[in-house]
Amino acid sequence: MLKILVCVKQIPDVDLVKMDPETGNLVRAGVPTLTNPLDLNALEAAVRTKERCGGRITLITMGPPAAEETLRECLAVGGDEAVLITGRPFGGADTLSTSYTIVKAAEALGKFDLIFCGKESLDGATGQMASQLAERFDAAQISCCLTIEDIAEGRIRAVRALETGRETVEATLPCLLTVEKDNFYGRLPSLGAYLAAKTAPITVFDETSLPGLDPARIGVPGSGTVVPKIYPPELPEPGQIIRTGSVKTDVGRLVSLLAEKDVI
Amino acid sequence: MPKSDYKNMWVSVEHDGTSAASVGLELCCELRRLCDRTGDRLYAVLIGPLPEAEIQKIADCGVDGILTVRGTGYDFPNIDAWTNAFTVLCRRYRPSAVFVGGTVFGRDFAPRFAIRLNTGCTSDAMQLDWDPETTDIQFIEPAVGGKIMAVITVPELRPQIGTVRPGTFRYAPTGKRPALERIDELIDFDPAAIRVRPLRFTPDENDPELDLSDADCIVCVGNGLKDSEHLERYRTLARLLGGKIGCTRPLYDRGILPYKLQIGQSGVMVKTKLYISFGVSGAVNHTAGVDADVFVAVDRNPDAQIFSYCDYGIVGDMDEVCDELIAQLRAKMAASV
Ligand SMILES: Cc1cc2nc3c(=O)[nH]c(=O)nc-3n(C[C@H](O)[C@H](O)[C@H](O)COP(=O)(O)OP(=O)(O)OC[C@H]3O[C@@H](n4cnc5c(N)ncnc54)[C@H](O)[C@@H]3O)c2cc1C
Ligand SMILES: Nc1ncnc2c1ncn2[C@@H]1O[C@H](COP(=O)(O)O)[C@@H](O)[C@H]1O
Repeated sequence: MLKILVCVKQIPDVDLVKMDPETGNLVRAGVPTLTNPLDLNALEAAVRTKERCGGRITLITMGPPAAEETLRECLAVGGDEAVLITGRPFGGADTLSTSYTIVKAAEALGKFDLIFCGKESLDGATGQMASQLAERFDAAQISCCLTIEDIAEGRIRAVRALETGRETVEATLPCLLTVEKDNFYGRLPSLGAYLAAKTAPITVFDETSLPGLDPARIGVPGSGTVVPKIYPPELPEPGQIIRTGSVKTDVGRLVSLLAEKDVI
Repeated sequence: MPKSDYKNMWVSVEHDGTSAASVGLELCCELRRLCDRTGDRLYAVLIGPLPEAEIQKIADCGVDGILTVRGTGYDFPNIDAWTNAFTVLCRRYRPSAVFVGGTVFGRDFAPRFAIRLNTGCTSDAMQLDWDPETTDIQFIEPAVGGKIMAVITVPELRPQIGTVRPGTFRYAPTGKRPALERIDELIDFDPAAIRVRPLRFTPDENDPELDLSDADCIVCVGNGLKDSEHLERYRTLARLLGGKIGCTRPLYDRGILPYKLQIGQSGVMVKTKLYISFGVSGAVNHTAGVDADVFVAVDRNPDAQIFSYCDYGIVGDMDEVCDELIAQLRAKMAASV
């Protein structure tokens, strides 16, 4: 039976988020949250794989206690178990320490054949967590997957999107995949599944219950990168605004200006 | 090991055996300027051989040296051999920084050798700076949907690793250095240990409409667009101007236009003569991808940030302005016949 891991992340609504000017970290308090949209595409790919090949889906997230909501949302769509890694010392982690922490927790649950990740998260948006998780899992990696063609005998064949075309590749398991959203639009949960997910048990790890955790490698101390400074983007001097009160005259002015500049 | 023991900066120049990827050359040009400040030597790192003419092209970007890796395992691009090669090289030479072009392939393997070397990795920097006090590179990029610019550093660990998207920096070669150091390294990787194998490659159909790299004029449609039925007039305008249509991320997210037309930090970077945006608010994530000789913005919100980036702006309804522009351009053409 395939053991499938899906890494999901709860993110703040970036339109409403601010940054703490002291620490450079995102201030999430009070900001509405959602499940990183691309993680729902990854989950969809996992659910389709399970429907076709059988298997068991484990959902994992590292985040504040409220990230439980994301796990329940995903459980309703199609997870068999869910794991939350939460605790103050994990806070402020970059991808170096987050990937360490997630893999530590996953190892406590067993070995996985397939790992699905979102292509990037809309808040952190490094797009590098998937590769770093794959490295720590010692797994092959197929990113930008368009279709999964076949999974058999410890191998997976899939088509992925490159800059100039589509490549069919074959990889050994374990393998980590990120998926293109166009081919993996998420489904809505049934009412029954939605209700069941509300009360489903969730495994919670904190810094004391994760076996073999090196405290120096989590959270801020375990991070390779820091954000020493943030500042508002510098806006260039505004351009010339044409506002005569009539669209016709505005456009007429624009056309003559563009003609003068020799671009039309 | 203290970070002062790590010296020199590297650019991994991706290539297909015939020519060097443009992002590698762009990075060499940009890092030349940085190394002139830091005193580091700049090396281009190549996996597998490249014809001499291409080597000269890299040399023209002002690198001090070219390090070429040969050995088994490099017959086709694969994460396993590349991750290994960079891990081995970094341990051997201790560069202070390694830059990798942010292609699909580069973004796959760079974060992996960062893990193996237990160091910090950044992606998608839009600007590079250097702090002489800490000797750290500053990777600068928009964050939180472009509301803020974030300076990211790797304060303790080395090398500092960064992937940078194609088109972020300019290809502006400053010329060969008097002496070009050449280093050859043999690093064998067991081909049997390559875990992902390509079976087949189908090139995308060459749809010129989806290639913005050579467009002299781009009509960029933003989230102000009501729905796909309203799109046709913008296509008409683009056709009249001999240009192409592009978009912001929300239009790709809404499924109205394909990803290849998304302009900006996480899409394509464009360089064009005339750029006209309709219903685009002007988030840095988008504007960072635009390099235009003449920038025109149309938006109904007079306070929209986009007006800070434009040369000429019209405040008004995008569809109305587009229709009027089409009418006047047609009239102008008719008049000049
Ligand atoms: C990590 C990251 C990477 C990103 N990368 C990119 C990227 O590569 N490219 C990109 O584009 N975005 C990117 N974004 C998103 C970016 O931050 C903005 O959200 C996006 O650019 C906004 O697009 P927009 O201006 O079209 O939409 P909006 O911000 O919604 O603006 C719509 C504009 O249309 C105007 N409008 C509405 N109706 C009309 C009308 N009838 N007539 C005239 N004007 C009208 C409004 O006044 C408004 O100014 C990224 C975000 C993140 C977090
Ligand atoms: N805190 C987290 N918990 C679980 N998965 C994560 C977390 N952060 C990132 N991921 C996964 O890594 C992907 C890429 O994230 P990022 O590198 O932040 O763009 C996401 O889409 C998730 O699948």
